[in-house]
Parts: sequence; C-alpha cells; structure tokens
Amino acid sequence: MTMLVRHACAACAQALNARGAGLSLARGTGLGEPVCAVGPGVDELEELQFTLGEGPSVDAAAGMAPVLVSDLSGADSGRRWPMFAPAALHRGVRAVISVPLRAGAIHAGVLNVYWATPGAPTQDELADLLVYADATMLLLMGANGIATGRPGITGNGFDERRAEVHQAVGMISVQLGIGVEEALVRLRAHAYAEERRLAEVAREVVERRLRFSPRTSGNPAGDGPGPAKEEDR
Amino acid sequence: MTASDQKARDAFVALADTLVADFDIIDFLDVLTGHCVDLLGVTSAGVLLVDHRGTLNVVAASTEQARVLELFQLQNQEGPCLDCYHSGEVVACADIAAVVERWPLFARAAAEAGFAAVHALPMRLRETVVGGLNLFSAQPGPLSADVVGLGQALANIATIGILHQRTVRRDGAVIEQLQSTLNSRILIEQAKGVLAERLQVTVEQAFVLLRGYARRTSRQLAEVATDVIDGSADVPAIAAHDPIPTE
Repeated sequence: MTMLVRHACAACAQALNARGAGLSLARGTGLGEPVCAVGPGVDELEELQFTLGEGPSVDAAAGMAPVLVSDLSGADSGRRWPMFAPAALHRGVRAVISVPLRAGAIHAGVLNVYWATPGAPTQDELADLLVYADATMLLLMGANGIATGRPGITGNGFDERRAEVHQAVGMISVQLGIGVEEALVRLRAHAYAEERRLAEVAREVVERRLRFSPRTSGNPAGDGPGPAKEEDR
Repeated sequence: MTASDQKARDAFVALADTLVADFDIIDFLDVLTGHCVDLLGVTSAGVLLVDHRGTLNVVAASTEQARVLELFQLQNQEGPCLDCYHSGEVVACADIAAVVERWPLFARAAAEAGFAAVHALPMRLRETVVGGLNLFSAQPGPLSADVVGLGQALANIATIGILHQRTVRRDGAVIEQLQSTLNSRILIEQAKGVLAERLQVTVEQAFVLLRGYARRTSRQLAEVATDVIDGSADVPAIAAHDPIPTE
C-alpha cells in the first residue's frame, strides 16, 4: 500500500508540475501523522504542520473543501499561519493546495501539493488534482483493514458517489457498531469479494435484503459467510 | 400583482434573507426545491451538481423518495439533465412517452415513477455549467415561457447560493464550494442511513425526521447529521415526530 500511495503522490506532483506532494492521515476529525512525502523538503513541511497544528493541511483536515494558497508570502497567509508560512517560504515553497480526502463524515487524510513558484492552478489542473485525491483516498480506504492483499478498488468512481452507497454506509456502521470509515471498507470488501457492483450491494442493504452481522464480519473479504441475507436469518 | 406574482416575490425575498446570514447550503437548496414545486407547478424538483469527473450528483430534492432520486442519478447515463449540462441550454420534454427512443432507460424509469414531462434548466456560472435544475411533472405538456423564466431565476439563485460564501473571482473558489456542497450532501446521506437503522425506518422517513428535527430546533441539517453519525445526537428527540413522510 505504502508504495502505491507513494506512486500516487509522485505522479500527482509530476502531473501538476509541482515541487512535491505529501499525504497525512486523518485522526478523528483532526490531522494525523504524515505517511508519505515526495520532493525536496516536503517531509519537513508535512511534519511541521503536524507538530505546529497549523497550516493549510490542518485547515483542510478540519473542513469540507480544499484549501488553496496561491502565495504563501502574502499577508493573508502570514496572519493565518504565522509559524508555518515563514517556515515554508524558508524552504522555497511559495504555493500549496491541501485537499481533504473526505466523503461526508469519512475522513481518510489530506493530500498536499507544494509549488516553488506562486500562482493558482487552472481549473483543469484542479480537476486533475481532485482525481488524484480520489485515487489516493481509494488506496487508503482499500488498505485499511482488508486482509485480501489486493488494492481495494471495487466498482468505479461513479458508484462511490451514489446516494445509496452513503446511506448503506450509515446503516452498516450501526449494524456493526463501527465508524463510517470502516463501514465503507466493509461494504466495498463485500462487493469486491462477490464481484458485484458497489451500488447494487448498497441497494440491498438500504432495502434491508442484506444485513451485516458483527459475528461474521470479522472474516476477511472472500472468506467465511460474511453478511447475512435477510431471508436466511 | 397577481397572487402567483406575490408568491414568487415572497419566495425570492425569503431566499435572499437566507443568503444573508451564515447559512447551510443543503438547507438552502432544500427550501429552494420546495419553492420550485410551489411556484412552477411541477411535481418534483432537484438540484444536480457536476463534480470534477463530470458526474451529476443530486444535492437537494423536493422529495427524497428513492425512485425519484434514482431518476436524477440515472441521468449520468442518459436524460435531459445530462443533455442540458453538455449543451448549457434548457432541455424541455413535454411528453416523456415520446422520447423513448432518445432516452430509453430514462423514459421507462420516469414513467414508472409517475412522471409525464420533464425540464432541465442549466445552472451556469459565466461560461461554465456547474449543474442543472431538474423539474418533473406528473402531467404531460410544456411549461410556459414565463414559468421557464421563473425556473431559470431559481436555478440562478441556487448557483449563487452554492458559490456565495466566497468571491468567485478568485481561482479555485468554485471548486472549493462545489466540493464542500457535495461533501455536505454525502454527510446527510450517511446520517439518513444511521438514523434509518437506529429507528428501523426507511431512509426517506429518516430524512423527514432529520429535517423536521433540524427545523424544530433551528439547527443546520449538516450539523444535526454530524451529530447523528458520531452518536451524540438525541435520537429519541429526533424520532419524537411522526415518521410518515408528507409526500
């Protein structure tokens, strides 16, 4: 997983002509530790935000939307991040974008991209960045607790956004007494193991034809009985 | 001024009022789709936003019935809202039965949901189409030019609402706001699921309860949703009202 995430960060930095990119995991609703850094000085900047508790990455972790900073030498940045902004400038970073890897209440982490020159990306570049962020989030979620040894990318991007997928995630979190992050992982693992579309499985959950049970859900995807069909119970 | 002029004026004043204060975008769009149904004489209205992959996402609807939401989502494959997004023009379909060849999947699902006509109005920001306002009618027939004009005004207000919090002149602000709106909507869907399971009701009923509770307590829908998901919400108080949907 670590290698895949590293590749994703590197590819993202390259595609956006950036100095580097880094990834920090979420802890609850706040920022957790950095797990990946690509490019000169990026590891320090990731660590620094984590340690100081300030910076675009910290703000992105607490919010719903990406944080775009086109010039860290601006007065706004200095006021907003009095310690981080000068530290970043000192390391030759002028612009940064922090994208929360988030779906509703699910926080996976923050993807940060750093540039040596000031300026804002174009709409197309931003759209590309969000696609990289999606891919990184899928990698993170897939790696979280699924013992299949395979990257957990099931279904397609479109399925991930369907209303019933999010509803099913909420329902499964109650059925298993777990958080929404893990509920999404369980749902995707089940779809993957059964080679079915995510939206299709989610619909069964929402229509109460499929229920996840705490007793069986400890099995890795593909092994054991897994979730129970309502009619079997 | 006619009664419907007065109604329209009141609706716009109410929406403008909401925009002034610190408002929740999902609440705002929820109210706006309700006004669409009242003012435009349609059966159902929904606001769809396009994400960075070009996927249409429902962010608010006048009814949260599963089959109606499905009809909005289905248009990622075919349908008036998809065509409207690509062309940036109003797509009017006065008789869904007549467009079976153009949109076979959509036409069948719409008929099954009890709709006979559909209109899609673009949500436009300068050159960019960011989404669409989708209007469904149970009766066939075109909407008059007046009604389409009023609908377009409401679609424009929806766009303003979504992009309102920050100046859209700044690069990237649009994407920030769209992302934030889409995430708020996902939050609501997750909360619907949690509540449905806790109370053993359908997800539609869960939404009615969630919205009712947010309104009774003057809280934002997204805020209540967050509490429901993290377990800190007062679930018995949310359930205190009749879970039968008003639809």
